[in-house]
Amino acid sequence: MPGPWTEPPGEKFALEDLEAQAHWQREYHRIVRAIREEMGADLPEAAEGVTGTVGMPLPRNDVLYKVRGRARYAANIKMADMLHCRFVRSEQAHARILRIDTTQAEAVPGVVAVLKGEEIPPDRRLIGTLTQDTPVLAVDKVRFAGEPIVAIAAETPEAAEAACLLVEVDYEPLPVIHSPEEALAADAETIDAEGNVIGDLLHEIGDLEAGLAQADVVLENEYVVESMDHAFLEPPSGLCFLDPEGVLTVLVCTQYPHYHHKQVARVTGLPLEKVRVSQTVVGGAFGGKMDNAVECALALLTLRTGRPTTATLSREEVFTSTTKRHAMTIRQKLGATKDGKLTALDVEVLSDGGAYRSYSMIVGGRCVIHTGMPYRIPNVRSHYVVAFTNYPPAGAMRSFGIVKMAFAMESQMNELAERLGLSPIEVRRRNAMVDDDKTIIGQKLWDVAYHETLDAIEPIYERLRREIAAEPTRNGRKRGIGLASLGYGIGYSGVRNPSTARMYVDAEGQVLACCGTPDIGTGSDMSLAMIAAQSAGISLHRVRVISGDSTKTDDSGPTSASRTTYFSGNAAYICGQDFKRQIEEAVAKARDLPAERVRLEDDRVLVGNDSIGFEEACALIGEGTEEICGYGKFDPDIAMDILKFSGNPYATYTFGTDMVEVEVDEELGQIDVVRAWTAHDAGTVINPVGTEGQIDGGVVMGIGQALWERCVRKDGVIANPHYRDYLMAGAKDVPLEIENTFVENKDRTGPYGAKGVAEVSLIPIPAAIASAVRHASGVWPNHLPMDAEYLYRLIAEARGKPVADAAE
Amino acid sequence: MTQLDISLTVNGARHELSVGPTEMLTEVLRRRLDMTGTNRDCGMGICGACTVLLDGQPVSSCILLAALADGSEITTVEGLERDGRLTAVQEAFLRHGAVQCGYCTPGFVITSTALLEENPSPSREEIVEALKGNLCRCTGYKKIVEAVEAVARAKGDGVGVS
Ligand code: FES
Ligand code: FES
Repeated sequence: MPGPWTEPPGEKFALEDLEAQAHWQREYHRIVRAIREEMGADLPEAAEGVTGTVGMPLPRNDVLYKVRGRARYAANIKMADMLHCRFVRSEQAHARILRIDTTQAEAVPGVVAVLKGEEIPPDRRLIGTLTQDTPVLAVDKVRFAGEPIVAIAAETPEAAEAACLLVEVDYEPLPVIHSPEEALAADAETIDAEGNVIGDLLHEIGDLEAGLAQADVVLENEYVVESMDHAFLEPPSGLCFLDPEGVLTVLVCTQYPHYHHKQVARVTGLPLEKVRVSQTVVGGAFGGKMDNAVECALALLTLRTGRPTTATLSREEVFTSTTKRHAMTIRQKLGATKDGKLTALDVEVLSDGGAYRSYSMIVGGRCVIHTGMPYRIPNVRSHYVVAFTNYPPAGAMRSFGIVKMAFAMESQMNELAERLGLSPIEVRRRNAMVDDDKTIIGQKLWDVAYHETLDAIEPIYERLRREIAAEPTRNGRKRGIGLASLGYGIGYSGVRNPSTARMYVDAEGQVLACCGTPDIGTGSDMSLAMIAAQSAGISLHRVRVISGDSTKTDDSGPTSASRTTYFSGNAAYICGQDFKRQIEEAVAKARDLPAERVRLEDDRVLVGNDSIGFEEACALIGEGTEEICGYGKFDPDIAMDILKFSGNPYATYTFGTDMVEVEVDEELGQIDVVRAWTAHDAGTVINPVGTEGQIDGGVVMGIGQALWERCVRKDGVIANPHYRDYLMAGAKDVPLEIENTFVENKDRTGPYGAKGVAEVSLIPIPAAIASAVRHASGVWPNHLPMDAEYLYRLIAEARGKPVADAAE
Repeated sequence: MTQLDISLTVNGARHELSVGPTEMLTEVLRRRLDMTGTNRDCGMGICGACTVLLDGQPVSSCILLAALADGSEITTVEGLERDGRLTAVQEAFLRHGAVQCGYCTPGFVITSTALLEENPSPSREEIVEALKGNLCRCTGYKKIVEAVEAVARAKGDGVGVS
């Protein structure tokens, strides 16, 4: 049933007509050229172009629309006749649903459709990434407060909201599981039909007991990390409609449109070619826009009503219903010899998976694989258990759990340094991974520049130690510094995750580069354009990127796990080479020359002894341009035996070291991070503006998660579902002095030598802060967040004056 | 429900509207006037994504009843550019990498514009103070502050700014 609605106007980024877009594109390229000239380039001939841009600090194309308020976020797209969808959500954390009465809701003027889970055929009700366990709408049981039960579409959002309030749900409450410890108790109420354990992963190398016996020092600690929210600023939002060909089209802010494409097809029963999922401009994601939020319900309502349907979650719904960072308890033993050589590591993790599986197993697998990174440890045991609880599902979030593993590992490394009287840099150097070292999974490493990140931080560390020794307090606050490191595998863990790119050209010389991985706000489209243009030998201004669309691009995997620059960048590079070859061959054919006499470089085509512009070359090829399609696929040989934890889980690894300076107000228990330094081995930096932005943003998110952020979980609900109570860093709370170093290194497998960098700078921050607090105030925090109350108590206890618990 | 007749001048254009007593300015801009540059997130006056200028002063439009804005002049992010050119603030945000996902950007651009209008050469502390009501999850704020400083510097140098 084709609808009369065509796609709303505008390209992926801009909500304005083509003429306006063309004008602003010229403005943009004028600015790019001005920057190139300021950098000392001499740009004589091409009117707009610049070539060879990899490594240049260039502004991003999409930002032009964003600073003007013309960005096409999903909630900004309107269609005639559009309905508004709202959800009825569970008020119970764990309960059987006895009755859902929607009679009164249906009678609300303006209500067009009311959808219950039982109306979806039983074999299509469940969705999920690895395991399909999550109902689109709960049917006979709810597993967390905030779980969607009914979706209502109405002429206005107000009518939909009013109707939601009139839906009556009768529940029979079930015992609520608040923690993984409770979940694992023998007599615990079961949340899932298969029991309360989501995963129990174990990996061992060497002989742990022997390793501990060899140690002169054994540290044993427990670290606790609470649940956190991604707090991207744009609430999940989408719009669904039937296009004139009857293709069910979902425009939505997501990290992985091709996943939703399959899920929507599954839930609606439509064949894949009758569904299209296209990513809109994404207002931040950080792992929180991997799972279904509005997509499937919108699809079903659009099919039901035949009308475009839109939904945007409220901020409160984001906090109570989208996935969270896993709360974890990590018990860890680390053994070392007197001279600081690590002999053994024993890690025991208990993780809170929330109500559904989401990415729990992927987070768990990554945590096990990364145990002990980036150090050489001969004897390791890593045990990771993740269990269901009646809180929102825990899923993917920036670093997939590694920030917590690093909180434990790096804290113990710092404690070890102190115990042995070594500098934290020295103790790391004595164990640091280098080329040809093997990870605990048995993967051999290459192009590792971890040592260099320590070298980069060391002089700053030494200087700050001296400064603080001379002036240990500032304005009555205690000063301290601390550092921590990271090693991080780029891309999916242990399964192939290829990326592909395609490039097309028209007779006017306009080039389209298509790649499946969406730009989620990080500027990946810009990096891909730079790589594709340089590889093809053409000017950046010719290339327009289309990404994240299930119809227009191949499935290249999600933008997550820091993989897009590396995987899609490689695909774009290979594609650029192929495109270049095809152009050269086509020009050769048109001029009747052997192909080797034609070369495309620097945006010009050398034809025999002639040199013509790229546009002229395309005009020469004429209709033949229609046949040109550059193609690139990057599919590194990743293979891991999941059961044995052996093999090559990642295509490459990024390394780094972060350092922070703090000031601690011991009276208030307040920690202020006043400066930060980072040094990363990110391989080649494609666009320094973008890469630095990722590093800065990661540092600040790390500070927030170390100091303030937590989802307060009480009696089965998230008790702080607003920014007022979920405290995040503002401009006043963070250091504006963040100095970033990229150590010189090239990854032989990366595009122009690049690795991935989106998540990494966050990983060491909590441990670095904990160590700085130790330096300042003499206590070792082992809990995240280290908020004022926590730190105040910790300091009071250390001073022998414990604070009595406030009455509940 | 009683409707209230109000008039608003938005980016120089006058609009006579009849609004509900509980309707917020964000909704009026986004839904009635189709100006979606002003983003909405928290709806509680905390994040600053919805910031507009009300008679030159930055306000959170999500907690401002449209009826209370009767007779006032509103500037949204769409109303800043002149003759197809970015303002100095917009161009500085673009050049300095002060924008990633961009959801917070209209709010920061508006707030920064108001600050520089009032105080052409603010100190770092004054900039941070002015921006404290705007949240950004992506950039870490450093490059946003640097962008505002760059505009202030250019003004000091007498380079033209709109
Ligand atoms: S949406 Fe207005 S302040 Fe957050
Ligand atoms: S750029 Fe994403 S919230 Fe600021």
